[in-house]
This record gives sequence, structure tokens and C-alpha cells, in this order.
Amino acid sequence: MKLSISHDTTYAYEGEVSRSTQYIRLTPHSSERQTVFQWTLDLPVDASQLHDAYGNIVHVMTIDHPHDAIAIRARGVVEILPDADEGSDGINPLFFLRETPLTRADESIRDYAALHMQGAARRGLEHLMADLLLRMPYTPGSTHVYETAAESFAKGAGVCQDHTHVFIACCRSQGIPARYVSGYLHTDDDEHLASHAWAEAWVDDHWHTFDVTNGLLVPSHHLKLAIGLDYMEACPVRGVRWGGDNEHLSAQAAVSLAEYPLFTDQ
Amino acid sequence: MKVRPPGPGHYDEMLLAGNGIREHYRDYGQWLESCDEAWLAQRRQEADLLFHRVGITFTVYGDEQGAERLIPFDALPRIIPAQEWQVLERGLAQRVQALNHFLHDIYHEQHILREGVIPSEQVFTNTQYQLAMQGLDLPHDIYTHIAGIDVIRNNDGRFHVLEDNLRCPSGVSYMLQNRIMMMRLFPELFARYPVAPVAHYPSLLLDTLRHATPVDNPCVVVLTPGRYNSAYYEHAFLAQQMGVELVEGVDLLVKNEHVYMRTTAGLQQVDVIYRRIDDDFLDPLAFRADSSLGVPGLLSVYRKGNVVLANAMGTGIADDKSIYPYVPDMVRFYLSEEPVLENVHTWQCRRPDDLSYVLDNLHELVVKETHGAGGYGMLIGPKATQAEIEEFRARLKAAPHEYIAQPTLSLSSCPTFVEEGVAPRHIDLRPFVLCGRETRIVPGGLTRVALRDGSLVVNSSQGGGTKDTWVLEEVTPC
Repeated sequence: MKLSISHDTTYAYEGEVSRSTQYIRLTPHSSERQTVFQWTLDLPVDASQLHDAYGNIVHVMTIDHPHDAIAIRARGVVEILPDADEGSDGINPLFFLRETPLTRADESIRDYAALHMQGAARRGLEHLMADLLLRMPYTPGSTHVYETAAESFAKGAGVCQDHTHVFIACCRSQGIPARYVSGYLHTDDDEHLASHAWAEAWVDDHWHTFDVTNGLLVPSHHLKLAIGLDYMEACPVRGVRWGGDNEHLSAQAAVSLAEYPLFTDQ
Repeated sequence: MKVRPPGPGHYDEMLLAGNGIREHYRDYGQWLESCDEAWLAQRRQEADLLFHRVGITFTVYGDEQGAERLIPFDALPRIIPAQEWQVLERGLAQRVQALNHFLHDIYHEQHILREGVIPSEQVFTNTQYQLAMQGLDLPHDIYTHIAGIDVIRNNDGRFHVLEDNLRCPSGVSYMLQNRIMMMRLFPELFARYPVAPVAHYPSLLLDTLRHATPVDNPCVVVLTPGRYNSAYYEHAFLAQQMGVELVEGVDLLVKNEHVYMRTTAGLQQVDVIYRRIDDDFLDPLAFRADSSLGVPGLLSVYRKGNVVLANAMGTGIADDKSIYPYVPDMVRFYLSEEPVLENVHTWQCRRPDDLSYVLDNLHELVVKETHGAGGYGMLIGPKATQAEIEEFRARLKAAPHEYIAQPTLSLSSCPTFVEEGVAPRHIDLRPFVLCGRETRIVPGGLTRVALRDGSLVVNSSQGGGTKDTWVLEEVTPC
């Protein structure tokens, strides 16, 4: 399946920002399970590009003159090959047993995971994933971006980021390495955001997909942008700025099936 | 002045068990005996006044008043004979060399894990292991440009390593200032003793930092968290002594794959950062987002190889208390040598057998948090109340992997000026090891002294003081 992506993000500031630096993870890399045919990232100033510790492509951008907005535009076409095995990325899976502030399992998450993780690991996780969505129905606006797994679990509601954090916390509390994936999802309806997050867990010597929000185990409609221990490590944009007062974020992401001719938006 | 003898079974640096005096302290003992008490007291007062005036202070965390405190200086030197120092020096260089090999290995091929010398999960699940360092090549493969190794002498007279400090070891400014003070107070003693100099430490440090980059004529800076940090005085002092800029995170800027310093004359490229900020705070875009101490984007420049950090990121994995028990094995594994310096026996509470031994013997062990530092969060069994022991028992059972335990060592003592005269107090030693073109150790280090009678905690944050450390040079006959 070929997907065409169009993603615009604009940060507008009420005051003047004297300088800012961002890490931008909005460029997918090709792997066994996805082929990047075309990708462009438009940024207000030149940025340098590197691979981070996880192999994610990161753009580093510093604007050191006064500005009151930052606009980021990503466009591209990527083919998804969901049945392919991604193979090893050279990182010992044990690394993904680490807790982070956003994925720390509190007592109620630990108890919950222990209760639902009976039997074989993969079956146990499938069961856990299904139950978790009932326990935390998808509720846009119910949580904020820095909500911890424990907080959203206690609320009993959340969005894909919360589902993923709680699921990861459950896995790690059970000794199963798990990681956060940030990317895009193609759906037929328009209700869900095209920007998406899901989890991967290390079971039987492979990374397996667990898209809690959509109850999906096969990443057939999933384009991977970045992985990390949690949202903070994989998120599309992370920045520090001097000045600027309040920030207003507007983001529009559209994922559609790519038709011939492959790419027309230039 | 009269020197009070140590208790039985203790090793004293100056006095022998039968109340005799060790050879290397004989001259000093004679001099001390000849000194007028009032004159000595006056000299010591003068020292306090001078330290205050110079502004050598130390902020104590958790102190309600947030006060800066003067680290008490003790005017009675700790003397180490030449032959003893030679052994120490060899052992320290060997140990730091092995630790550097270890760091390179675990961030590259991981031989030591593959061969089962250290369990993989102890490295990869440890938050001190920095994934960002994996596969990164550093100039000369050096990770720990500056190491501070805490050494103690047990009652058998042998030196043991208590702790390796490979992140931002502090205290070297006290080593330098204590020497200046002693030379000022008692110049006549330096005529009697061939004391090895330490004053060239800043120039060795600068040389080490300049060698840490392939860049010719590099720009070196000292990065401090700022004036509220406990060791701010030292950061400022070392920068001034080396003649380099002292900067805070806000003074630096990442742009076009390089780090720049904002100066009145515009941006200046920075090549080497002697950073006195912990990993977690170095880059708010990669690590702790709530910190404004570091430099946004620094990690990206570091990974590109366009700036050197001294010490490297991720060195904490090698000095973590849960890895410490394996250091002698590292020496054997990487250098095929026997360790010159011994470790202190350590029980790893993550191991069920060790845990049960520790729980059964809490009243006579020292229990430490694997991630703790500065003497915070530890239990000294023999000195603890029953309530404290029970509290630690509960903590150990809840999270055994977060603790290690060691026997309560009787650190050696050294005569020290106290209220009632001169009495033995427990001491340790932190020599500073510099890794550059070669491994260099300024003779001596920082001797810390527990000023409370019987106390074994020498940390300055816990009421410890410092002494000048004299390593004697071998006097070769003409």
C-alpha cells in the first residue's frame, strides 16, 4: 500500500522569540517494512540532519533572530510492506525495559498488568490491549501532552499517546521490553487524527505491533517516523525557546492512498 | 602539643600501635611538640579567616537555610611516603585505564557482556547507560578525562578503592588551596620535608583538555550549572587558573552542527567543554526537558563529533555502585593484569543470597543506594537506631536491586586539630587521574576527614573537613 502524506505544523507565539532550537523527527527512513519514495521537509531556516541513538532521522534547527512563528511542512509518499520482518536494529531489547517519568508503572498499573498478563506473553498482551481500550476509551481532549501513564490510567480515558504509554508501562512492569512509536495512520474515516502513536513489544525475539487505540496487531496502515522509550524521545517536534510568551499550535495531517501519478504536490 | 593516641585495632597514619611514631611523621612530630599551643591556635584562626576571604565555600543541599558553608580545613597534614604513593599511583592508573576500556567496550562491541563477565541486564537497564553513546567514536577512545578515585586505608594498612567518580568529580580546588594555605602558615615545614608539588594541576588539566580534540589550538570552556551549584567556586577557580572562559548553558548556542559561545565580539566556536553538569541536564531537547542548565541541541553536535565533552556522556555506567563490584574483573579482562588496588567486599542485594545475608546482618553493614552519592541515603549499621535499620529493611525488600552493602570498614585515622587538642579522626583520599596523551596523577589528592569523633562519613555535605596531602619525594643521595 502506498500512502501520501501531507503534514503542516505551525507554532505561533504571542510575543517575540529571540532564539529557539528544535529537534524535528518528521522524516521516515526506509526499512524492510516501509519504502520512502519521496519526502520533503520545509523548514524556515537551514537545519542539519543526523541519526539519533535509535536510528531516527532528526533535523536540528536553530533560529537565532527574532521570530513570532515557526512553520514546518512535511510531504511524501511511502509504501508500507506490513508482512516484512524488520530485523535487528542493533539495540539490545533489554534497554527498552527502562522506566521513564511518562511510562512509570504505579501500583495500580502493575496490578492491572499482572492480572491481564496470564498465559503466553503474546496472547496475554493481546488480551491486555483489548481490555485497556475498554478501560480507557478513546476520548480526544481528555488528557494533555505531558500526562503520565499513571495519571491517564487513573482517569480512565485518553488518546493514542496515553494508550501507548500505559501499555508500555504494563509491558515493562511484566519484564517485557516495549517502546513508543510515533508515525502516521491511514484510516477510511476522518475521525481519528492521521498523526498517530502505537507501541511495540519484544516477544519471541521480535518486535510486535500493538496499536491499542485501534485494536490492531498488524501495522498495515502504519507509517513509522520514530521510536523511543516514550513520547518525549520520539515526538515530532521538541524545542526550547527564549521569549515568546504563549504558544498556539495548529497542526494538519492528511494521509491518503497514493494514486498515479505518484506525487503531484510540488 | 600532645597527640592523643588512636583506639586499639585502628590504623593511624602517624602513630604506631605502641604509641611510637611512624618514620615519615617523625620530623613533623618533633616540630609539633616544639610548637606553642597559642601560636598554633592563632595560625589556624588565620587560615579560617583567609578561606573566608577567598570565598571558598560549599553549598549544602537539604540545608534549611540554603547556606554556603566553609569546608573546615585541618592544618595537620596527611603524609604519604614515596613508596606507598608509587603503589597507589600504579593502581590508580591501571584502574582508570580499565574503566576507559570498559566504557569503550560497552558502547561498541560489548565483549565483556558477551563473555558473561558482567550480566547484560545490569548494564542495559541501568539509566546511566547512554544509548546515544552506542557506536560513537571519541578522540583517542578517552571517556574519563578526569577521574576522582576514592581510596581508603583499612585497619590492615592496605589501600582499597571505595568508589570511582567518573562523571564530574569535584574537590581538586581544595587540594590546591590547602597546599597554598599550608605553605603560607608553616613555610618552615616545607624546608624539612620534600613535599611533591601539586600546583601544576591546572596546567595538566588544560593540557589534557586540549589534547582531547583533534582541533589545533582549540577553544576550551568550563560549563557550570551556575552559582547555586555546590561546587561553583571550583568551576570558577579552575577556569581562572586555566585561563579559559567559564560559561553557563545560556552562553552557548548550537547552530550549523557546531557549538558557539556568545561573546561581545560575536559567536566563537567551542571545541572542548569541560562540563560540570550531569548528563541528564546537558541537553534539554534530549534529556530532562525541565532543565535550563544545559545547551539545547548539544547532543546533536556531540554525535556529529564536532565538540568534545570532558568527561564523555555516559561515563556514569562505569562508576555506578552496581557496576563497582566488577571493576577488578575489568582489570583482568582488558589488561590481563591482577589489580594493584583492591575493592571493598560488596554484596549485591539484587542477588537473592547476598540480600538474605545483608538482611540478616544489617546492624554491622553499610548499605548504600546504587545511584546515591555524597553520603546521602546510606545506612551505617553499627551507628544506626533500630528504627533506621527497620526502615532500610523495608526499602531493601521493596527494591533490592537499588542497594549494595559493604562491611563497616574502620577507615584509617590521622591526628587532627579538635576542640580538646589533637586527636585521631577518620580519613579517606581522592586522587585525581587525568587521561590524555598519557595518564597523569598529581601526587596526593584531596584528603577528607570526618571531624566528629568516631564518625566514618567524610563527605563535605555531611560535616567533613579537608587536609593537605603530602606525598614525599624520594630523596636520592647525590
